[in-house]
Amino acid sequence: MRALAALRAAFGEAVRMLRPRRRRTILGALGIALAAAMLSAAVVVGDGLGLGFDRAARAADLPDIIARFDAQPLGRVGARIAALPDVTGYSLRFEATNTGIAGRGHERGDAVAEVVDPRRRRGYAIVAGRDLRPGRREVLLERGFAQAWGVHLGDTVYVGGLGPQRVVGFVEAPDNVGFPLAKPRFYLSRQEIEQRFDTDHDPDTNLAEIWLRNPRYLDEVLVQARATSFGLHDIRFATRSGLRVLLDQAAGIVIDLLVALSVIALVTAGAMLAASARAEVQRRLGTIGVRRAVGASRGHVTLSHAVEALLVAAPAATIGLAVGALATYGPASRLLTLLNEPPPGTGLGLPLAGAWLLSVAIPVGATAWPAWMAAGGPVVAQLGGGDVSASGAGARRLSLRGRGLRLLGARLVAARRVRLVATVVTLGLSTAFVLLMLALASALSALETDPGALGKRYQLTASLAPDLAPRVRAIPGVQASAPRYQVLAADSFSLGETINVIAYPSDHTEFEAPQLVSGRRLRGSHEAEVGAGLAAALGLAPGSTLALALPSGTELRLRVSGVVSSLDHDGRMAFVPASALLAADPSAPSQIAVRLVPGSSPARVAAALRALGARPSQATTAVGRGAPLVAVLRTILRAVAIVDGLVCLYALIQACALTVQERRRTVAVLRACGAGPAAVRQLLTGAALALVLPAALVGVLLERLLFGPALSRLAASYATLPLGATLAEVLATLGGLAIAAALAVAWVARQAGRESVVAELAG
Amino acid sequence: MLRAEGLTKTVGVGRAARLVLNGVSLAVESDEVVAVLGRSGSGKSTLLHLLGGLDAPDRGEITLAGERLTGRGARALARIRLLHVGFVFQQFQLIDELTGAENVLLATRLPGAPAGGAGRARKLIEELGLARVADHLPRELSGGEQQRFAIARALVNGPELVLADEPTGSLDGENGAAVLELLRGLAGRAVVIVTHEPEAAGIADRVLHLIDGRLRLGEAVEEEASQ
Repeated sequence: MRALAALRAAFGEAVRMLRPRRRRTILGALGIALAAAMLSAAVVVGDGLGLGFDRAARAADLPDIIARFDAQPLGRVGARIAALPDVTGYSLRFEATNTGIAGRGHERGDAVAEVVDPRRRRGYAIVAGRDLRPGRREVLLERGFAQAWGVHLGDTVYVGGLGPQRVVGFVEAPDNVGFPLAKPRFYLSRQEIEQRFDTDHDPDTNLAEIWLRNPRYLDEVLVQARATSFGLHDIRFATRSGLRVLLDQAAGIVIDLLVALSVIALVTAGAMLAASARAEVQRRLGTIGVRRAVGASRGHVTLSHAVEALLVAAPAATIGLAVGALATYGPASRLLTLLNEPPPGTGLGLPLAGAWLLSVAIPVGATAWPAWMAAGGPVVAQLGGGDVSASGAGARRLSLRGRGLRLLGARLVAARRVRLVATVVTLGLSTAFVLLMLALASALSALETDPGALGKRYQLTASLAPDLAPRVRAIPGVQASAPRYQVLAADSFSLGETINVIAYPSDHTEFEAPQLVSGRRLRGSHEAEVGAGLAAALGLAPGSTLALALPSGTELRLRVSGVVSSLDHDGRMAFVPASALLAADPSAPSQIAVRLVPGSSPARVAAALRALGARPSQATTAVGRGAPLVAVLRTILRAVAIVDGLVCLYALIQACALTVQERRRTVAVLRACGAGPAAVRQLLTGAALALVLPAALVGVLLERLLFGPALSRLAASYATLPLGATLAEVLATLGGLAIAAALAVAWVARQAGRESVVAELAG
Repeated sequence: MLRAEGLTKTVGVGRAARLVLNGVSLAVESDEVVAVLGRSGSGKSTLLHLLGGLDAPDRGEITLAGERLTGRGARALARIRLLHVGFVFQQFQLIDELTGAENVLLATRLPGAPAGGAGRARKLIEELGLARVADHLPRELSGGEQQRFAIARALVNGPELVLADEPTGSLDGENGAAVLELLRGLAGRAVVIVTHEPEAAGIADRVLHLIDGRLRLGEAVEEEASQ
């Protein structure tokens, strides 16, 4: 009861204390809301992306191994899998590519039809509707695909060769990214197809899903699977752990960025609120002394300050948290849909509650601590009142030699050295992050539009026989052309990783010249250059042996001459001589790579290629069908950059407001001496410049020397991403910082001008 | 020089509202020193703030150097203070991080301040006998020295009116007397000193008492007291 009464008394006092300082309260609440918004954005995106794959894999009962191969009779493949060790279950499908599907006014001829047996383990999650029932004209659509086409449950779609099928469910299968990053996928029942076409012979399969008892033995099972796969052509393995690594790599960048930014926002808000609370407590020292003199305990004084902070922080944190979560839940869910992963849903409740507690606890602690310290001092000293200006022995000598109010403003800010450093570091970090966002956006654009970002020097490919390369070279506008062989191989010892093997008959650097990281270019017919991603995955270095298991079933062994930096296929690349590849696999598929004369028209050359009977296509960029993913990433980056800019603005406003609050007598004396609004603005401009100039320097240096290189490594350890901000980006960011400073000065000067000189002089 | 007519001012709100000035009128000429005496809380400082344009009366009108103060905006009032008014405060109100000389110079660096401020500041510092301690911080100065620097700051832009609020309130007797003497010697300026210390009356050309919100001549008050 006594505790309740004390709390009630503290609550009443807190309300009374809040009333007269509405503007400062609003400013403090803004800071808390901003930090909470940033934190909840980090929680939503971090939880969504960080745990999305696990959630999706769990829901879909994702197999440990997915093997794709040329079509084989189902019984034959089943017998081979059943013979593998440690297998707890398997499911066989037929995956038909380039299938036609139409519905809701859309039509595609390149969809992937998965013919499944609904009675066996599935490997996909039903997120709406129900699963297929054997023998009915039903279809399941991938969720992203259904959303993109606007298909609802119960609608009818038309499948090539099958006619109308009723949509009974939507699915997510995290073994591949969703539409439109990948081709549209839909699922049909094997029994229905067998009934329709009256097939009683052993049906074909070309995809096997395998569940292991103990996933730790994955490598051993893969080795065994490879050994018993004779007769299966073009076999490719994907593993659950391999899929997870790929997705984590992409999500990791976004999560790390958001977490770093939310920490900055929290530290900024915490530091500013602590400074503000300290100034406020100093200002109220006399009142605290009176309360202590009439018998209020130190704990009661602290409690009333803590409750006061709670009254501001709780609603501000709630609003900020809600805004941040609502702003990011949509883009994060879209991103997850693209990745075939479910949104976090109610699972977010607990992390968001934790974020709310943190957002409230920091300001409450930041307020209670100075109150506790102040209330602990001698009552007589407290009754003497608090002058928040630096005085007595703490005052440092300033110099005005030949300069005026701006210098005074700068010196007033510099008088609080710890806060100056904290604010400069905060602004510097924010500046560095904005620069990083801009550099990232530029890098994404380059990857999206410029094949050269992948080291590709050819612009077109043509589906023509290799012996037609000289005829292609003769086309006006063509600088060089050569057959480009490409196969997906596996490492003989670690079969979970696929390797993109590329071969040219002559020097490949004429067409593809990814940056050499170590070693040298390949020279002989028994050498290979490997991507840094592959080198890292397999522990390869110049001088190592690369053992490639080719789709034909043969093995190709080459000596690694050098390691190159390539973004393509996550750096799991190998450039080999065409002679070596063709000796091992004479049927390796090829196209003609066409390098154009600078300035020549690709359209004209493409027309000439068509005349030769080829289907020319543009050289692929790193993004390709990933454009929607890039768009979502850009949305998130943009939102983060905006919040980051607001953090800068808030830090500047708080720093200027604190300077005015703490030095209100100085400002009042100046105003009494005849300083008008312009003079106050000059004073604050000096204060803002003292913060902004070093922060700009810190920001640019941090981005150039630390964040850019670090993120570049984080984003793709297998390639060099150009994440150094350009001069234009630096100037734009500094311009933004200057605008934020100008806004802060104008706002705080306006507020200062409204204060009564008489009241401020009286302290 | 300074004309105030029918000034009324209420401070506080609701039940705490109190009429501190009730139709105060005052005229001060150049070269005249007027002392306004009154008990603590009688409204002396409020009157001074109104005369200097730091606060606005509820009713009444103030004219300073031919310019009306009442009804003017913050910007205009700041300009009037800069050019026509010098304030001297009881607590000196020097900026702690600036030396005595720099505190004086600061007023000359305000936008719109008359040119030649540095020369005037140097001259004032010498005239007030502060050259020796010009580079000292306020905490290194005696109370009397601090108040003299504050007076130098008030005078540096050449105001026609000096308003001193309890200028000797924080000084011992000797320093207080020196400061009063200094204010007495400000030739060519109107000086209004508000204080509760009767010593100030000794240097004033005219002594007024603020009683119950009204100004009364010193002689009349003394006469009433003797009766």
